[in-house]
Amino acid sequence: MDELVAQLRRPVPLDRSFDTRVMRAIRTVARQPLRMISPLMPMPKWRVWSAFAAVAAGMLAVAILPAMKQTQQGRPVQFVLVAPAARTVQVVGDFNGWDATHAAYAAANRGGGVWSVTAPIPPGHHRYAFLVDDSLWVPDPAAPRVADEDFGKPNSALVVEDTP
Amino acid sequence: MDGSADALIVERVLAGDVEAFAILVERYRDRCARYAMHMLGNREDADEVMQDAFVRAYRSLGRCEDPERFGAWLFRILVNRCRTAGARRARRARTFLTDETALLTASEEHPAEQWAWREEIERALADLRPEQREAFLLKYVEGLGYDEMAELTGVGVSALKMRAMRACDRLRVLLKEVRSA
Repeated sequence: MDELVAQLRRPVPLDRSFDTRVMRAIRTVARQPLRMISPLMPMPKWRVWSAFAAVAAGMLAVAILPAMKQTQQGRPVQFVLVAPAARTVQVVGDFNGWDATHAAYAAANRGGGVWSVTAPIPPGHHRYAFLVDDSLWVPDPAAPRVADEDFGKPNSALVVEDTP
Repeated sequence: MDGSADALIVERVLAGDVEAFAILVERYRDRCARYAMHMLGNREDADEVMQDAFVRAYRSLGRCEDPERFGAWLFRILVNRCRTAGARRARRARTFLTDETALLTASEEHPAEQWAWREEIERALADLRPEQREAFLLKYVEGLGYDEMAELTGVGVSALKMRAMRACDRLRVLLKEVRSA
């Protein structure tokens, strides 16, 4: 038995690229520190609700945005999502480095399952999504999807004009 | 290689120094490789499980309650991933590739007879029930105590002792048959 154990304790050679491959995966995860929603998951109720809210959200945005002043960081944009069962809703996008902890992009519950936040967005073309309960990645049902995907998940497109 | 304690490296990673995680990978990959290869019996599955374990460890690093014992915590993740991979493989009814580990651990300076012996060891190991193989590897190859094993696997000490004992008995029988053949 000693001979057997000694044999099994011998080091097992690893592929030389192992460390590189692991760290590549780690870096990808580091840029995407969130559990993404599976495309095979059944659609949650709040996503259905959000579709109904899309038109209302758009109308709300049209009504409010022109009245708001442009800030040095960008123009104020209101993000709205209807998610009655959500505990937290965060807007993540290229404009905030996909940072899920950025307080300025944390949506507040306005009642009736409506979550919204108005945040300054720099002029230009942007990609973004909602992060619900720190775990579910949800594109904005009220906005067009981008043609290609980041992190393997669909994002929404946002264009902020340079002029008021 | 950075000689810092695991806790310091974990602290660096949690503070945003992603590259510091490479030190932990380098530090623990060999032990993980040995266990995964012997447990799963083939390189492809072992490689996949190891990478998965390291990535899961990174993602859950904030939940590592005792960073000083990062190695033990990582090993627990690996053991669980090996169990999952083993069960998945069993469902797929794949053939256990017993000779691949032996092939990897063999080096050119060893005579053919010795290589054949290593192959028989791997074959015998593969012949064990997964829970017996797990107990045997953790106890005798990784040198863990039964209390550590119980903590790591969630299985009672008595059951682990029984599994390890049965694994030893079975290995003795199998290898004796080989030697006497």
